[in-house]
Amino acid sequence: MEKKYAYWLCNVPGVGDKTIMRLLGRFGSAQAVYEADEGKCKDLLSPRQAQSLRTARKAWDLEGEYQKLAKQGISFTSRHCGDYPKRLDDIPDPPYALFWKGALPKDEVLSVAVVGARDCSEYGKYVAQSLGEAFAQSGIQVVSGMARGIDGISQQAALKAGGTSFAVLGCGVDICYPARNRPLYDALLEQGGILSPYLPGTPPAQSLFPPRNRIVSALADLVIVVEARQKSGTLITVDAALEQGKEVYAVPGRLTDRLSDGCNRLIRQGAGVLLSPQSLIEDLVGLFPYKRALTPPKGAQGLAGQAQPLSPLEEGVLKALDVTSRSAQEVRGLLKDPPDYPSLQRALMKLCLLGLAGQSAPGYYYRLLP
Amino acid sequence: MYSTIMSGGFCGIDAYLVQVEVDISTGLPGLSMVGYLSGEVREARERVLVALKNVGYQVPPMKMTVNLAPANVKKEGTAYDLPIAVGILESLGRLKACQTAKTLFVGELGLDGEVKGVKGVLPIVRMAAKSGMECCIVPKANALEGAVAGGVTVRGVEHFRQLSDFLTAGEEEKERILPAVKVDTKRYLASADLAADGDFQEVLGQEAAKRAAQIAAAGFHNLLLVGPPGSGKSMIAKRIPSILPPLSLEEGLEITSILSVAGKLPEDCPMVRTRPFQSPHHTASQAALCGGTSLLRPGILSLAHRGVLFLDELPEFPRSVLDSLRQPLEDRKIHLSRAHGTVTYPADCMLVCAMNLCPCGYYPDRNRCTCTENEVHKYQSRVSGPILDRIDLCVEVLPMNIAKLGAASGESSASLRLKVMRARQMQEERFASFPYRFNADIPASDMDRHCPLQEGERRLMEQAFETMGLSARAYHRTLKVARTIADLAGEERISEEHLMEALCYRISDKA
Repeated sequence: MEKKYAYWLCNVPGVGDKTIMRLLGRFGSAQAVYEADEGKCKDLLSPRQAQSLRTARKAWDLEGEYQKLAKQGISFTSRHCGDYPKRLDDIPDPPYALFWKGALPKDEVLSVAVVGARDCSEYGKYVAQSLGEAFAQSGIQVVSGMARGIDGISQQAALKAGGTSFAVLGCGVDICYPARNRPLYDALLEQGGILSPYLPGTPPAQSLFPPRNRIVSALADLVIVVEARQKSGTLITVDAALEQGKEVYAVPGRLTDRLSDGCNRLIRQGAGVLLSPQSLIEDLVGLFPYKRALTPPKGAQGLAGQAQPLSPLEEGVLKALDVTSRSAQEVRGLLKDPPDYPSLQRALMKLCLLGLAGQSAPGYYYRLLP
Repeated sequence: MYSTIMSGGFCGIDAYLVQVEVDISTGLPGLSMVGYLSGEVREARERVLVALKNVGYQVPPMKMTVNLAPANVKKEGTAYDLPIAVGILESLGRLKACQTAKTLFVGELGLDGEVKGVKGVLPIVRMAAKSGMECCIVPKANALEGAVAGGVTVRGVEHFRQLSDFLTAGEEEKERILPAVKVDTKRYLASADLAADGDFQEVLGQEAAKRAAQIAAAGFHNLLLVGPPGSGKSMIAKRIPSILPPLSLEEGLEITSILSVAGKLPEDCPMVRTRPFQSPHHTASQAALCGGTSLLRPGILSLAHRGVLFLDELPEFPRSVLDSLRQPLEDRKIHLSRAHGTVTYPADCMLVCAMNLCPCGYYPDRNRCTCTENEVHKYQSRVSGPILDRIDLCVEVLPMNIAKLGAASGESSASLRLKVMRARQMQEERFASFPYRFNADIPASDMDRHCPLQEGERRLMEQAFETMGLSARAYHRTLKVARTIADLAGEERISEEHLMEALCYRISDKA
């Protein structure tokens, strides 16, 4: 019942979360606000807001609009409703409304946010992927923003390994942004959920993303930053996480990698250091002993391929490859007895064909997850 | 009195004979010219009359008519001054018909009687030789160029007085006044320094790029070089002509003819000895590249005939300009059609392109490149797909600091060229009964005949098809490149290692 009124309330133009909280503080529930006398809330509203509330009360079809929402497959909750995530309720400025498709993250299950740069390196991709997989295999929920780069990659990996993952969007839940992540969006609906504090149909806008970052961190017990430049939007999430009292971990990087500057700085400021996905999971269990993990998905498996017979040269080339891109020339420099160029390229191509290596640009190769 | 003098004109690089007919009769004094003439031909009237006066001939006030036959072909250029002047002298009775018989004249006249160089002498002299002329009188500036045609005596004239002396002199005097110009084309070609513009030896490291350049040269594949700014992409491209086989006489004459009609042949150079390398700036217009304008002159594409057309900063070229190259690259010639005619120029060149992978140029070095994935994608997709479809090999050029790592002293252009020539030999034998000459031109229908795969190799390609997401087109390109790699190794059978290497040079479809 209350939800119908709450949905009405957040649809009133010109009335934002702050006003809503003021109104609720006086009247107690959205229904009470709906039925309240105009004179009683005059002091809480600007004249324009009062007018807006009046119009909305007359024009809004309570029942019909709420059913329309349900027909779109979108669930809705608001603060003071039973299914409002507890983690969100605990932060300083929780959103009044929450829309979602699929499912909501379970409060009692461990949950981790993996965030990082959109334009990440091969190294970042590798770490995001292995984190996503490790969490999936341990039954830990992965929360992120479904953005390009680290966000999407970790979520994709978690889902691929049979885990659950949740994305918080900076637009309406019915809009897939970025559009390129459509396959991920569809998979999230199956194996997790898409959440947003914004009304369905809200187009993505720059100003909407920082507020959603606080929800990403709020829904997690711990935030891991995989790659971030010194000035990075990811650091907004970190600030929010610290404000909310969440644990922050960072993935250390090389001094020479600009994409790791932000992470290394966080470590210096006291963030936890990610040593390996496994050790992080142990830390997590230690930190949150009262939370449980989901049952690990059946048939969850490391993507260990079948053993392929490799020639000594191919073995050597594989060892010389790194998770960051290296040119064939560099690889050759690392080999004990450098082969001639064509045979080196043949070996690299064989590794690509076997799925052990990848090619990032013409002539640049990196090692894939074993 | 009526007289006929032989001259020549050209259309494209094909020349034709022009009869310059002059008639002088009583009537209203003046010189009228007919025969579908363009402006510069019409102006010959003033130049010729003044030049004749200044050389010392009195032209009587009579009615003179000049006709250039065939009168239905548009005549252009200034080459008709000389034959008109000679024709007038002959009509006046100053020369005898036998003195100008079987002789072809071309040249522009200055007001003082000086004979100036003109365009298209080589094709005209070649045509004269074929149509049974005995002597060609050409401007001194074009004498060397004309002499390479062979089969006809070529004499270079500097001043009109020389010419009149020559025509009236006795047989034994003639050689002294205007000696026949001779060029030993074989020896001239053989003496070419093919690596004059740079030797591959000077390129340090960059093994992959050098290897790809060799493969491209061997199979006449088009090549794409990618790499950060300042890594030496142009340096490598510039050296590709030095590993292409030396020019044959016929090829040399073709290239020289194109330069000749474009008016770009240097005076002291009888013919082109090295393969052309054309590198237009990315602001070049469609007309500059393909040829045209209203005069139907050859474009850069034709000037690169039998050589290399290098497009640096490929994504910066306007799409419309690149797209206009599609059909000529396929046909290896270009048809130009404008309001007053159609011309076909040869355009059989190897396309070498260079580009960065992102707007700043440093991708995939994420430490220096700050472009977003979107920007990278957008930049790369600026190159039109149909052009990429015509490029068989793509290879990286490394930043200098990496390229120097373990850089061996490179192989010289001469030794690379020998290998290329061997591979070309194999192709010549293979394609003896086919209309194409190079591996790059094998049509899809003949793929199975020239690039047969055995069971193991076929499976390998299927695997590559799946894991790398190759398109059908990329599949064929890989096969053609593998064919050339096998040819370079002197093997008739395409084996696994040839395919593996060819796969390294594929263009990923997203780029």
